[in-house]
Amino acid sequence: MSKSSPRRPFGRNTGTVTVIEAKVHRSSARNARLAFILTAVIVGLLSAVVAASSMHPILALFIGALIGALSGGLAWVLVRIWPVLRLLWWWTTEIGITIVLGAAWVQLANHTPLPVTLVVVALVVGVPAAVPVTRRALVAWTWCLVVRHRLRVCFAQFIIANQSGSLPLILWATPTPVGERVWVYLRPGLSMADLEGRLDRIAVACHAATALVERASDGNAAYLRFDIKRREVLTATVGSPLVDVIDPATPATDRAMPVVPTALDLPDVDAPVITLPVQKKPATTANGSKPGASSSSSDADDVSDWI
Amino acid sequence: MTTATAPTSGVPVGPGLSMFDPIFVGIDEFGQPVYITLAYRNLLAGGEPGGGKSGLLNCIAAHAALSVDSRLVLLDGKLVELGQWEDCADAFIGPDITEALTVLRRLQVVMNNRYAWLRAHGRRKLTAADNLSVITVLVDEIAFYSATVGSKQEQEEFVALLRDLVARGRAAGIPVVAATQRPSFDIIPTSLRDLFGYRAAFRCTTPNSSNIVLGHGWAEQGYTATDIQPTNQGAAYLIAEGGVPRRIKVAYLTDNQIAGIADYATWIRRPATGNRTEWEIAA
Repeated sequence: MSKSSPRRPFGRNTGTVTVIEAKVHRSSARNARLAFILTAVIVGLLSAVVAASSMHPILALFIGALIGALSGGLAWVLVRIWPVLRLLWWWTTEIGITIVLGAAWVQLANHTPLPVTLVVVALVVGVPAAVPVTRRALVAWTWCLVVRHRLRVCFAQFIIANQSGSLPLILWATPTPVGERVWVYLRPGLSMADLEGRLDRIAVACHAATALVERASDGNAAYLRFDIKRREVLTATVGSPLVDVIDPATPATDRAMPVVPTALDLPDVDAPVITLPVQKKPATTANGSKPGASSSSSDADDVSDWI
Repeated sequence: MTTATAPTSGVPVGPGLSMFDPIFVGIDEFGQPVYITLAYRNLLAGGEPGGGKSGLLNCIAAHAALSVDSRLVLLDGKLVELGQWEDCADAFIGPDITEALTVLRRLQVVMNNRYAWLRAHGRRKLTAADNLSVITVLVDEIAFYSATVGSKQEQEEFVALLRDLVARGRAAGIPVVAATQRPSFDIIPTSLRDLFGYRAAFRCTTPNSSNIVLGHGWAEQGYTATDIQPTNQGAAYLIAEGGVPRRIKVAYLTDNQIAGIADYATWIRRPATGNRTEWEIAA
């Protein structure tokens, strides 16, 4: 690409929204060229070899070149639009839901009079919203969609992965009583330890209280599980099933009445008379100062806590 | 849940629990019951006062009391936390380190005898089929015995005996469950603390304290007991089966429920306490 080429349409000063970063754009162009050449050469040669069995080799070579160029062009287009495809893939669920809802609305509006349409919509929207169970389930699943995007933002914004900027594969998410659980497959360049140091920022990005990350597979360090916590559920008192095991008609044990102490308040207790053993005066050094040592005991945590 | 139906005919038999059964200690964040199998494990509970350590100890004591193959040895410097189990316990030690040392020495002898017995049978650990009782040693407030009461020598002997039990008692069916507020090196030696396989961290004030209970490095990975609300008593991080701390809520027994279970446990042990049965002698 020549240096005098005009600014790209995705540049910063053109007033358009930057969909693809300049760096990614450049590498995308290079990758596309590479994909074109590789695909064209391989497919072209193979086609020529296959075609040569039924026609003249020179003719087969031309046919091979044609097929190779077509396949290479397809590969070039795919690689060039890959960032957009990826974006569409990330939002597949939302796009799908929107299309389904839109189509349903259009069909409903076309086939029923307005009052019926409104009643149906009110029922479809209102009943799940009014029933607590379905409302909570809907909200929880909505959070799952949100959290996947928020995690992607985390990875793209402040978890630097590798030179080509590839993001981890953010797999499915399920609601849990405390929040969401998201499975992630890391690409080369990241490890669980990298993520552990950023859990507080991940929690902030996901609008959650805390976030935890742990291995989802014993055999694969790339397969991780995020636990996003946004609710405290362990607040109710938990009963023990052992209470139901016992026979309530059990006779109470006869206990000998223990001696009940009487001096239960401060004035009832006299100061104990303690005879201290005669202590030697602490030795002083020549300059009169007390010897050091024995002053190192402090309540603060020190390194020997861990030894 | 590992509960059996209660005998309704008034026959003085145990409800069929065993110390080799999983012990129900509470629920986790997903509402699932949390069990620990204590027969071959030791548990250390830590956390600030009022966090719920005694609730966990009482939960385990209740299971042990209702187990037919179990004996309870209780050491409670506060008298009241485990005091209700006194009648169904084989030993209940209050704030008296001499008695505590005596019972620990007895336990050490039992442990040695059991290992000799196992060796004579060419075995390596006790199983439920051996008809030997699991002697659960519950210590509330280790700090009281190891750093507060008694002379320096007595405290050191207490720690040494306890360490021996924790280190060797596992396969002999003598699990130790200990609770203390902050098991730092000045309360119990690190060499003793690190022997406990299961850890339960109730609310702590600093991530460092949480790390002392759970083990070094967990706070940095996001598992810190400082994020437990002070009002949420009984919530804890538990490292047991699985090896990763789990947020749990410990089942709570009221005083009346404990009294009921203790009475029942005492009652089903009545024949055993009257005349020494075969398995009691074997133990």
